[in-house]
Amino acid sequence: MSIGVKLDRVLLDRGMSLTELSDRVGVTIANLSILKTGKAKAIRFSTLEAICKELNCQPGEILSFTDDGRPIEHDD
Amino acid sequence: MKAIGKYSIASILAWGLHVARVIVFCAFVGLSIAAVFTPILPFLAPAIERLPGVGHDATIDISGGAYVEIMNHFVTFGVMLFIINRLLEILRTLRLGSPFVKENADRFRQVGFGLLLGEAAKIAFLILGEIFDADVDLNFEMTTWIAMAAVFVLAEVFRQGAKMKEEQDLTV
Repeated sequence: MSIGVKLDRVLLDRGMSLTELSDRVGVTIANLSILKTGKAKAIRFSTLEAICKELNCQPGEILSFTDDGRPIEHDD
Repeated sequence: MKAIGKYSIASILAWGLHVARVIVFCAFVGLSIAAVFTPILPFLAPAIERLPGVGHDATIDISGGAYVEIMNHFVTFGVMLFIINRLLEILRTLRLGSPFVKENADRFRQVGFGLLLGEAAKIAFLILGEIFDADVDLNFEMTTWIAMAAVFVLAEVFRQGAKMKEEQDLTV
């Protein structure tokens, strides 16, 4: 899948566990695990909003687009 | 009326199909025995003649037409048993609460092919019946072909439903 999920990295930076995030955003650990492992097919705006709010981050810090597994290179 | 659970449509259908399966299975086993033994019975005639109480002029004459009739019923009941088993498997997934799975789409398709095979067998046995002078009726019914088309459509609906369910399950 060309959309990568960097939730584990953001969680590590914030020093937060998946269980704690699950409690705060009201999403089950099973669903967050699906998201973290990149198995998710879609993410609701409401879920993304809740995660970003709790982790104090932007959606781009959690999600990334890669082309054929390689990160997209930007000019800046 | 409830869709699943006790006294639901699914449970009544499952009960009816279980009863039908027992009846069809018994008939199928009987026809299987007949299909195996009918061709060899004339060869067993000398042995049967030696049985106590059987006359020396005992003859077993089974025409080709009779055998075609047995095989016609054998295939019909075989197809019925196959379809009933697939429907029971579909109902089991409904009772478990997850009918929209790829396997059910495959099962519906198998039911469609089963019906198709049954109709093809009817035509084949009609031709054989003409050759061997058997009493086989074609009974061409348009509703069977429409039902067959409906089952194939249902299979594709279930395939799409299974995809949607998977997507829903993997939506966070």
